[in-house]
Amino acid sequence: MSAEERAIFDRELVRRRRTRHARQAAETTFLLDHAADDIADRLALVKRPFEVALDLGAGPGRLSARLAAMGVGLVISADLSAEMMAPAGGLRVVCDEELLPIRPGSMDLVVSGLALQQVNDLPGALIQIRRALKPDGLMVVSLLGGRTLFELREALVVAETETTGGASPRVAPFADVRELGQLLQRTGFALPVADSDVVEVGYRSALELMRDLRGMGWANPLRERRAHAMRRDTLQRAVEVYAERFARADGRVTATFEIVTLTGWAPHDSQQKPLRPGSATARLADALGTTETQLPEKPERG
Amino acid sequence: MNEGDENANDEAIESPVSAERIDRRLLELLVCPITKTTLEYDEANQELVSRKARLAFPIRRGVPHLLPGEARHLDDKRQS
Repeated sequence: MSAEERAIFDRELVRRRRTRHARQAAETTFLLDHAADDIADRLALVKRPFEVALDLGAGPGRLSARLAAMGVGLVISADLSAEMMAPAGGLRVVCDEELLPIRPGSMDLVVSGLALQQVNDLPGALIQIRRALKPDGLMVVSLLGGRTLFELREALVVAETETTGGASPRVAPFADVRELGQLLQRTGFALPVADSDVVEVGYRSALELMRDLRGMGWANPLRERRAHAMRRDTLQRAVEVYAERFARADGRVTATFEIVTLTGWAPHDSQQKPLRPGSATARLADALGTTETQLPEKPERG
Repeated sequence: MNEGDENANDEAIESPVSAERIDRRLLELLVCPITKTTLEYDEANQELVSRKARLAFPIRRGVPHLLPGEARHLDDKRQS
């Protein structure tokens, strides 16, 4: 299998979708705003000025605008679609998050609000972000995590199985917060932290939810999607299943979005780091005022 | 719902760049997406050229498009 055949997401389709729904995207910003506010709050706690920053997958520029308002000297907005970025203003570059055109060691800060869940090679994207950072530069990116849209996924599988006798992938897979934390470590970030925040949004129906998803440029981006549009009866049934299973007391239905935030620093000598094993200069037993007890040899790990 | 857009617009107005021209500060921060080597700015053709990748990336309305799919191969004749 070639790299292209292994790819989960059709990046060209992602680009076209972001372009086609650019106008709507400028109006469907509640979730992007939530993510942008959260990242801005985290940055406000970091006591240092950021001269040069990159907003990756900037979309309509909600996060870029906040960075500029916080006093970041130079903010570059980057997105797959020029049209999607049109409202962003300021410095812009059209690029693919998987092929970052940023000079290595040039950024004080790289942020991204809910964009990186649609890349095929997330480790590669994170490594490129780390390289774009100056030593001791900061990355704060949020992306949709594993529990996102579990209701829609379930409703579509049930409805499609009932109406057509089979199911096709219609909701993208999202990585789990623990996997993402490990990935952050593997890709060479210092002081890595991954945390997750669940946002439940009420919608009148699954149809309204799907309209919003398109508006955020998130219509089904999967390479393995069915060539044909969803049948009308399948869609109708999915809306019913969704309403039956995920209704709230107020008559609306719930849609879950899990926002995973990854924070890490480009390594620098000034950062705190654990000592090497065996480098201790004092004995724990002395510190505790006790005598050391030799443990029996452990059996070999199988 | 669009309050944040005001900020974005202010940014664009305050920026010393005209809508059509690429910002020099941006140029210094960009490299070829494939080879990560320095890009040459071809002002006449509004392109960013990666000698190493043999690609010329278009600049449209002051915004560089650094996608391999949108680049012109240097060995191809330029469309006029």
